[in-house]
Amino acid sequence: MATKLAFLQIAEKVQDLLVSRTGPLTRDLLQTPGKFGLGRVPTRLVPDSTTTMVCGYCATGCGLMVHLKDGQAINLSPATEYPVNLGMACPKGWEALSALHTAARATSPMLRKNGTLMPVAWEEALHEMTRRFTDIQERHGKASVAWLGTGQMPSEELAFLGALGKFGMGIVHGDGNTRQCMATAASAYKEAFGFDAPPYTYADFEQSDVIVLVGSNLCIAHPILWERICRNPHHPAIVVIDPRATETAMAATHHYSVRAKTDLWLLYAVANELIRQGAIDEPFIAESTEGFEAFRDAMAPYTLEVAAEKTGIPVERILALSNLIRNGKRVSFWWTMGVNQSYQGVRTAQALIALALMTGNIGKPGTGANSITGQCNAMGSRLFSNTSGLFAGRDFGKTQDRERVAEILDIDIANIPTENSLAYDQIIDGIESGTIRALWVVATNPAHSWIDQNRLTRLLPKLECLVVQDMYVDTDTALLADILLPAAGWGEKEGTFINSERRIGLLKKVCRAPGQALADFHIFQLVAESFGCGEMFERWSDPEAVFRILQDLSRGTPCDFSGINGYSQIDRKGGIQWPCPDTGGERETDPVAERRLFEDGRFFTPSRRARFIAEAPMEMPEPPNDEYPLILLTGRGSSSQWHTQTRTKRSKVLQALSPSEIYVEISQLDAEGLGLKSGAEVEVISRRSAVSARAYVTPTAKPGEVFIPMHYAKMNQLTHPTFDAISRQPSYKACAVRIKVRST
Amino acid sequence: MQGRTQLAELPNSTPSPPTNSGNFAARTEKPSPLRLTESKGRLATPLAPKVRHLPILSVARRLEQQQTLTAVDAFSRSHETDPVPDQAQYYRRLLPQALPNPGQQYAFEVDLDRCTGCKACVTACHSLNGLDESEMWRSVGLIQSKTASPARVQTVTSSCHHCVEPACLKGCPVGAYEKDPVTGIVKHLDDQCFGCQYCTLMCPYDAPKFNAELGIVRKCDMCSERLAVGEAPACVQACPNEAIRIQVVDKKTATELALAGNFIPGAPSPKATTPTTTYRSRISLPPDLDAVDGDLVRTEHTHLPLVFMLTLTQLSVGTLLISALFGRSSSTSQPAALLPVAVAFGFTGAALVASVFHLGRPLLAWRAVLNLKTSWLSREALSFGVFAKLLLFYLVSLIPPEIVTFAYQSRFSSLQVPLGVLAGTTGVIGVFCSVMVYVATGRGHWRASCTSIKFFGSLIVLGTSTVAMLEILSPSAGVVHERTMALTLSLLLAFGIWKLLWEARRLRTGTSTDFAADRLMARIMLLRMLALVKTRFALGILGILLLPSVQLFANIPAAASQLCAVAGFIAALGGELMERVMFFRAAPGSRMPGGV
Repeated sequence: MATKLAFLQIAEKVQDLLVSRTGPLTRDLLQTPGKFGLGRVPTRLVPDSTTTMVCGYCATGCGLMVHLKDGQAINLSPATEYPVNLGMACPKGWEALSALHTAARATSPMLRKNGTLMPVAWEEALHEMTRRFTDIQERHGKASVAWLGTGQMPSEELAFLGALGKFGMGIVHGDGNTRQCMATAASAYKEAFGFDAPPYTYADFEQSDVIVLVGSNLCIAHPILWERICRNPHHPAIVVIDPRATETAMAATHHYSVRAKTDLWLLYAVANELIRQGAIDEPFIAESTEGFEAFRDAMAPYTLEVAAEKTGIPVERILALSNLIRNGKRVSFWWTMGVNQSYQGVRTAQALIALALMTGNIGKPGTGANSITGQCNAMGSRLFSNTSGLFAGRDFGKTQDRERVAEILDIDIANIPTENSLAYDQIIDGIESGTIRALWVVATNPAHSWIDQNRLTRLLPKLECLVVQDMYVDTDTALLADILLPAAGWGEKEGTFINSERRIGLLKKVCRAPGQALADFHIFQLVAESFGCGEMFERWSDPEAVFRILQDLSRGTPCDFSGINGYSQIDRKGGIQWPCPDTGGERETDPVAERRLFEDGRFFTPSRRARFIAEAPMEMPEPPNDEYPLILLTGRGSSSQWHTQTRTKRSKVLQALSPSEIYVEISQLDAEGLGLKSGAEVEVISRRSAVSARAYVTPTAKPGEVFIPMHYAKMNQLTHPTFDAISRQPSYKACAVRIKVRST
Repeated sequence: MQGRTQLAELPNSTPSPPTNSGNFAARTEKPSPLRLTESKGRLATPLAPKVRHLPILSVARRLEQQQTLTAVDAFSRSHETDPVPDQAQYYRRLLPQALPNPGQQYAFEVDLDRCTGCKACVTACHSLNGLDESEMWRSVGLIQSKTASPARVQTVTSSCHHCVEPACLKGCPVGAYEKDPVTGIVKHLDDQCFGCQYCTLMCPYDAPKFNAELGIVRKCDMCSERLAVGEAPACVQACPNEAIRIQVVDKKTATELALAGNFIPGAPSPKATTPTTTYRSRISLPPDLDAVDGDLVRTEHTHLPLVFMLTLTQLSVGTLLISALFGRSSSTSQPAALLPVAVAFGFTGAALVASVFHLGRPLLAWRAVLNLKTSWLSREALSFGVFAKLLLFYLVSLIPPEIVTFAYQSRFSSLQVPLGVLAGTTGVIGVFCSVMVYVATGRGHWRASCTSIKFFGSLIVLGTSTVAMLEILSPSAGVVHERTMALTLSLLLAFGIWKLLWEARRLRTGTSTDFAADRLMARIMLLRMLALVKTRFALGILGILLLPSVQLFANIPAAASQLCAVAGFIAALGGELMERVMFFRAAPGSRMPGGV
């Protein structure tokens, strides 16, 4: 018996050796029910609790359910119930945690000594920063120190930086990378609606029957918003106006492949045609708007023929577009960087606003003139960065605004500058002219992202002191820093973001920051102490306390969210859209999940009417010519790359999902003309620089136009530094280049 | 100035002295010794110009706050058990209602119109399956039309196609693949795998992925654990546009479709394995669609251990055969016959050692012979394993008593001829199996004619140059055997030159060449490894010419001719090794459409 058993055991062992069905490698991939509504998860990664927080990449503002073990994030998946993303996420969201775990994290303050950045104690770095900044301010005036902030930090931190910089340190000029993405939309809304107020809610994507997307590649830039369009049950007509046959254009029902920078002609011709046909909402125009007559007259020259000539779109197709809008019951207009990053972007955005107003497509489900925002907290930055405007949409130039803020913050009004900040490009000009001597760069990477990059990288060394506050030691800008302050990132701190549809979402602390890295919030607290203005920020003790201050600042403004009952209500509700004013009752406010603005036809201008604004379209500042025959377009390359890639390049998966090297999309016709094939090495040459790239021949590029994604650092050596006159937003989208083939 | 005056009056030692407890809060209650003062400017200057008395900063407290995680206490989800996953509301309709019937199986179905290339499926697969940092089982590629009107660019998501006739399963030497009899899901047994990566060459779609850290291959199993309990695979759960679903397909229909060539443009032909994934589109796909990376010039893995294994086994078999054919008859001069066999045995050993280095889990090398039924790799492993042993016995049988005596020596001696014949035959079978290992992958550039010429060509070139070198290095009784040299060198010259010319002809990239695969391979060689190509030909020519040139000059010193012989042999071996490096490195990959 015993021998039989032994024999069986041996046989089993042999069998196991011959066919191993189990073992450590098999177990490595086993799954276990994850509980918390998760379904099965890898056994190695079973959470002991979960929590939902808003994603830290784009302004879609998806809810991500973070899987926690011992309080620490071990994995994540999209939050099923979150009203924004409904259980889905783009690759960046899925890989959000990977940006935190890299050897390139800044783990200690660094100070440049003898040309090299050396780790130092926080005390030394802060004392040094304080000493240099105050010294420069003493010699050159308070305004000689400036900051460049971001749309990537929570509102609480943005507000802290804004208050500390301006009220505590006496800095006059600060701006943020939101200038590069949303300034145009903000300016357009302010002029037209009286407040920077994107009117929509994402549900509008699902309720439209005509969706017009201008310069917006949702499939790549905002995949979750494209998801919302796909959920639209009304079989909407989807119109994409874009020179490129983008992924979105391919998926749309109608693509208007206008010549680069001619969208304004097209929109004006459509407006003119609608007016001509009388396809306008006259009662609404009369009740709720002003300036229509002047607008109507201004449109008269833009006939279908004129627009066809300019845009390259045949007359009948432009007519078809105006018919679509005329016949649509719920038409929504959406735009992104194709409009914003343009020398006449504000007017283009306002043309879309005008189309929505004149057809009465505003304030109703499935309508609106809607700007889709880029960065996770660009909307928070627009309200609370305290740079080009005073807190919560106020104006530094207005005494009553300054008084109100001084009162709310309990500070001396003398501490509040009486002018709005210079714009980003003017701060850069200030470095050249010597009026700006020190720069504090927080959570942004201008050495990659700024237009005409070579000029900026020539200018930065002129600064007497460059302080960079970042998560990483290796960003293009961090490498140039005199003082580097190591920052904690998304997931390592608390606060709130405001997404594209004005939804305030919550950030949570689910990872430990590496080494000595500190949340920007704590860094600002320390800088305040170091500058000797710590007392001013005694109330700013933690992010939620600052959130209450922001609520106070918002009270009575269009963005009033004083009715929110703390972070916990935001958490429970899956984010809360502004406005959400305090109704004064005992009970907690109960805002519905999806709300839009202007349902009553009243706007935020003094007259409560929306304004029609138009201006004659201008020609491209740098049109192609014989020497530079091609137009270079720029934009998002893939859904797995984010801006200057400081975060997305940390994820091996995201890296694998996008080309690692710079490439240029070129049409088949131009490729044939140049005698090159896909994969050829070429040089893209503009008046400012020459950049090597790999050619990618694609039917999506129009002859005469080439495209390079913005994620590759060298791209911005080529771009032409022109700016929208109103918003000061750089016109990244188009400049003249030529292509030289290096090897076919 | 007023501000400064006031400042000067401020005590510069105000930071409260550290309390005994060292408690942060206590120490930092008054963190700032310097206060803002009102002045004519907007802000008072808080610091004196010369001597700056710096405040004590509450760095330690901030660092401590930073390291305290708060999400769990404040917000984490308390309820633990949910019978149905939350996401089920979205994916329920994307799953089949019942298990497949006999003759059916599960399959992916992709709605191309809904796929816009966001690639969430790839990341979800990565996160929800707990894959290693750079491991991906799903990919999203791009196919595009060649003409601009109508321009069509289509993203294509793909993973394992759970083929009806899985090539991975057929090729796996250790039987680490199983096709589930009910669901048809092709599963990989991770603990059975020994990391030979042959499945990565067998699969036309690049589905199995080698994980170098673990030393094994892993792949998509359609989240079979999830499917078993009614949950959707990660990719299905994660697609924002519901482009991926699981369906039940008839295997027979799938086979018919595959044989008709029906799959998706830009992908390898479905005929060999019958992939079951269905790609659907309401808009018909233009006929000129192709993968954007279809003719992208890129290099593949070199598989260096395989380069050595192949080249050295071919050298060994060649040496054995050439010495047997052209050498002095063994009965008359055993010591002279002994040397080539000893050398062949030595190189065989080296080849087998090299092959083990190729494995992710070398200790399991013995498993290589477990799938003789369908795997050419198993057959190759067995053949060379047996060849090595026969070669050893043959070698022993050749040892004459005058050198060393041992038990059963005469019995061994008597088996000399059958042992030699057996060893030679097994060796040739081994090389044939080597050829078949690559032919079985179905890849154009590894087709039978090309691979045979390369492998058997190396056998002849290296066999002849080894035998010739040995003859020069160790002439029997001080005299080089004329017949051996003449025959060996003629064959080396004639065949070596022919092989080089044949290889050179493959470098033509013009459209006249019949095979697209050859064209692409030539482009890869010329654009990415031109130096290697040049060196290969230089060494090849040297290897062919050096040895015969020794014979032309009868009066050169023995040492010089021996040096020439060794140099010629090394050149020939180096040349063939480089040819083999390019065999792998310049081989166009077989995969689903990739990205730009």
